[in-house]
Amino acid sequence: MGDRLLVVGFGPVAVRLVDELLPEVAAGRLRVTVVGAEARPGYNRVLVGEYAVGRTDHEALELVDEPAWRGAGVELILGAPVTWVDRSARVAHLAPGSPVEEVGYDALVLAVGARANVPVLRGINPDPAAVAHLPRGVTVLRTPADGDQLRAVVARRGRVVVLGGGVLGLELALAAHEQGCDVTVVHHRPWLLTRSADRAAGAMLEAVLARAGVHVVADAIAREVVLHEGGDFAGLRLADGQLLAGDLLILACGTTPRTGVAAGAGLRVDRGILVNHDLEADTEGRVFAIGDCAEVLCADPTCTVCPPRRGRGPAGLIGPGWQQAQWLAARIRRELDSDPEPMEPLPSIESDVIRLKAHSVEFAAAGEIDGEPWESPCGRSVALWADAAAGSLAKLVLRDDRLVGFIALGLPRTAAELGLRYGDGAEVPADLSVLLRLDGPDAVDPGSPSPTATLCRCAGVPAEDVTAAIEDGCRSVAEIGAATRAGTGCGGCRPVLQQLLDRDGAVAH
Amino acid sequence: MTLTTTPDGVRVEGREFPTNRGGLCRKGWTAAELLDRPDRLGTPLLRTEDGTFEPVGWDVALTRWVRELRAARATHGADAVGVFGGASLTNEKAYALGKFVRLGLGSSRVDYNGRFCMSSAAAAGNRSFGVDRGLPFPVTDLDDAHTVLLLGSNVADTMPPFVQHLAEARAAGGLLVVDPRRSATADLTADGQGTHLQPLPGTDLALLQGLAHVVLAEGLADHEYLAARTTGLAQLRPALNQWWPERVEAVTGVPAHRIREVARRLASDPRGTYVLTGRGVEQHADGTDTATAAINLALLLGLPGGERSGYGTLTGQGNGQGAREHGLKADQLPGYRSISDPADRAAVAAVWGVAPETIPGPGLPAVELLASLGRPGGVRCLWVNGSNIVVSAPDVAAVAAGLERLDFLVVSDFFFSETAAHADLVLPVRQWAEEEGTMTNLEGRVLRRRRAVAPPPGLVGELEIIAELARRLGVEGFTDDPREVFVELAAASAGGRADYSAITWDRLDAGEALHWPCRPSAPEGSPRLFLERFAHPDGRARLVPVGGPTRRPAPGPGPAGGLVLTTGRWLEHYQSGTQTRRVGSLAAARPEARLQVHPATAAARSIADGDVVEVTSAVGSALVRAELSTAVRPDTVFLPMHFGGEATANLLVEARTDPVSGMPDFKATAVTLRRPVAGGSA
Repeated sequence: MGDRLLVVGFGPVAVRLVDELLPEVAAGRLRVTVVGAEARPGYNRVLVGEYAVGRTDHEALELVDEPAWRGAGVELILGAPVTWVDRSARVAHLAPGSPVEEVGYDALVLAVGARANVPVLRGINPDPAAVAHLPRGVTVLRTPADGDQLRAVVARRGRVVVLGGGVLGLELALAAHEQGCDVTVVHHRPWLLTRSADRAAGAMLEAVLARAGVHVVADAIAREVVLHEGGDFAGLRLADGQLLAGDLLILACGTTPRTGVAAGAGLRVDRGILVNHDLEADTEGRVFAIGDCAEVLCADPTCTVCPPRRGRGPAGLIGPGWQQAQWLAARIRRELDSDPEPMEPLPSIESDVIRLKAHSVEFAAAGEIDGEPWESPCGRSVALWADAAAGSLAKLVLRDDRLVGFIALGLPRTAAELGLRYGDGAEVPADLSVLLRLDGPDAVDPGSPSPTATLCRCAGVPAEDVTAAIEDGCRSVAEIGAATRAGTGCGGCRPVLQQLLDRDGAVAH
Repeated sequence: MTLTTTPDGVRVEGREFPTNRGGLCRKGWTAAELLDRPDRLGTPLLRTEDGTFEPVGWDVALTRWVRELRAARATHGADAVGVFGGASLTNEKAYALGKFVRLGLGSSRVDYNGRFCMSSAAAAGNRSFGVDRGLPFPVTDLDDAHTVLLLGSNVADTMPPFVQHLAEARAAGGLLVVDPRRSATADLTADGQGTHLQPLPGTDLALLQGLAHVVLAEGLADHEYLAARTTGLAQLRPALNQWWPERVEAVTGVPAHRIREVARRLASDPRGTYVLTGRGVEQHADGTDTATAAINLALLLGLPGGERSGYGTLTGQGNGQGAREHGLKADQLPGYRSISDPADRAAVAAVWGVAPETIPGPGLPAVELLASLGRPGGVRCLWVNGSNIVVSAPDVAAVAAGLERLDFLVVSDFFFSETAAHADLVLPVRQWAEEEGTMTNLEGRVLRRRRAVAPPPGLVGELEIIAELARRLGVEGFTDDPREVFVELAAASAGGRADYSAITWDRLDAGEALHWPCRPSAPEGSPRLFLERFAHPDGRARLVPVGGPTRRPAPGPGPAGGLVLTTGRWLEHYQSGTQTRRVGSLAAARPEARLQVHPATAAARSIADGDVVEVTSAVGSALVRAELSTAVRPDTVFLPMHFGGEATANLLVEARTDPVSGMPDFKATAVTLRRPVAGGSA
């Protein structure tokens, strides 16, 4: 179909796609152009929060080995938003002021991502196009430039108000708090992480945050952004009249997939750009969408792969986005090789493990989290452990002995193990408490050796041989070694030998 | 060790030496028992028409063998004859064997069991540092370390005396052990002496990427060192930026905060910090990349080539280091030279007195060599020397079938091993205490092995066999005198990466501690390799981005009921167990293989401790008793590799290999587990 591949959007998912195809580009089998709206090459958006609280630097966000890309022949057009795509002419038109006006293609990949939502609040303009014109001290957090404001406030240990108690909001709140800021989180639902935690976990999470010193105002309606006379942020007014004063307001109110260019090109869009499970956005298989902007859902009513996806929308997570990029790259390689073998389809459900990136609070969740242990509808079972004093909770939802959802709070090893098992559908121990004990002291303590056990592992000497040697007159560790070989290997048991000498040897004298 | 002959046999005593400080483990203390075992092979055995073996004299054996060699070569070409060597052979034997295959047989088909052992670390070392020496510093440097990251090495079982060198690090709370099992070594971290990370088998690369990510992202890297002594940071950075700790947690099962803690500990004071790898992280289909990731981490921290810091890999077999330097590897010539490099070939050809084009090109790495047995274009006449491949190679059922396809198989060993059972000709050889030679230890230090006892009458050493074969084949240049072989070896290594040219037996016998490279311009040798420069032409180490996007994920648990099998070693046994299974006290302590299974995993399958269970992978099944233990992850089972028959671990391991090193994937195999419903006995 031609060898010109145009990638619109330059987030981490676009980077992965091009990285995968780099050998083909270098070999001259494929020409790749990437058009990015931002001035810098694609970077790791997942770590923007870490950058924003000053834990890391610009370089830690880099994902592109630019010399290698340019050496291979990838063309980069930066600072150039695509305004519309002319599918009949196969041309993408770029915004005025871009380095070029248009770019032709044979195949097009839309990886335009999502934009941060701006809530309807008195005092700010909710038009997404007006994000750049928010008052000083009010910001969303999507790019490193957004992060610079928070970075400055964190540097002087300022007061931060976070609107939105979802994953991003909570991560930022905790990170800023851990770095020494005074932080308030405002959430419009009854409990934090409403989509990833149930009521019990949400309540415990709030208690954990309160104990750590993060101020949480849940079930609250934000009404107005109050500004100082100079136009800087002064505080957030709630519907009940309360004014939460601060130096910075972070709007962490979710994201919306960017569908404008696709809709303008006559492609189907719903919550995201609709693609079938071969990631095709058009009927010709010439336009694709991947990452945060893409909603995988076939229009074909007979499709057997897509129904579980219905209603889920774009995953909004980097893991599934990278999976799509890898899959699409493999598909493109196959077409270049004219390989007729059908491909393994994309997994019908992407992994949706939420892992809170925070140093002071351990939280992870995924999948189906509703239900209570005393209910067991349709083959599902729920196991629950909660210890409010310790701030730990684990909820496991199983179906047919497979983990289909979980919540873990304050149990890092348990959370990690549950994440593994949820991800690959592996077996869950029949006794679920095995997973809970991983964070207990018995999991790391090998236990005190039994009196009958081998005392010196290296030489295989039982304790009774050593005792006998002492009774026979050995008066030093070296003498015991000569008699029994105990302590002559790694020497790890020599302190124990000395203890036995001190105890039994004294008696013998 | 020191040996004394007494009326009751040979007595073993520990000898004060830097690496073991006089300490020996059970295998060492009991090694002399093998010298006079009644079942030791005493004469050549030739297979008869009815399939049994018949003792024959050496002349009959060699005459038949030479006839078979000639026939195979005449019918199928020189590459139809091959040699599979072992990393327990002395430097002299390894050298002579490699030379004999190339010149005596004119074949390229030589490789050895070190391919199953050190090849991934070796490939990574060559790629990053320009040279491969297990430890580029004396092991005693570890004595005052406060932080040691030990990945995939169970030294408390495999070389217990080594644990003495970790005492300071443990006292400082800085022994950091990475192992999917709570091994004896992991137990050394208890009581505040360190940290044990327990990742899912096959995910070590991700863990190392995560550690390196934290070092870079938190500004803990030694940028002055990176600028002065390395290249490639700009390429490495984007690769590592993709591995933030929470993502690594999702792959490995190691909590993100522990990854951060370990990274910070490593960076807290680079002077006194070491990174060491073992087979656990190297024996994977991505083993070279994993070892490289460990090196990248060490380089970011500024460890290699510093005072009191470094990266190293813990060499496995007795002469694991030396054997790979002198030509037993399919792609190498003596002195750690490349068989593909014209200058290297010319240098060795000059010493051998032949034209460079006489030396065949690169052969096949072990797994490919074994896969070729008896196949069209493959080896038809094989000599296995110092290796028990029917136990130690991956997919042993296929290896055994390959041995049966051969026209002629010669096996030399001390005992009638599982591999010998497939042979047409079995040759008895001398043991370690009965021969003269040299070995090179894990520090690159060359050690003399001295004859302590006279070999049983009628035994012939490998050097004599090689010299006699060469004589009968009409090829010159082979001597049976190990001292002369060493002189030639040293000359052949001159100018190579592992340069022995200023080492002599006399100097070693005088007690000199000589680490290669040791050349006339620097005859004192090189205990610390990288103080001034690395071995690449520009003197810099390479940061090599690994684990790139096209890499396939590690094989996790596959189908329902799937577990990951990892294999390894026990304290009581050595390698394929041919020797240690014959030592009374060791066999009594560990008479048979046991599959380590978590109690919860066992309970789900109604398996009790001691039950016989069936383990099944894509290539085979094994029958073995279960040993229940909470020291293994519930999704992982562990089987030692020391046993043959139905309990052979490598019946289950697939012949999948690392694309760079040819290392098999011994440490992560998808398996299922069940209690067989046997008729009657169950």
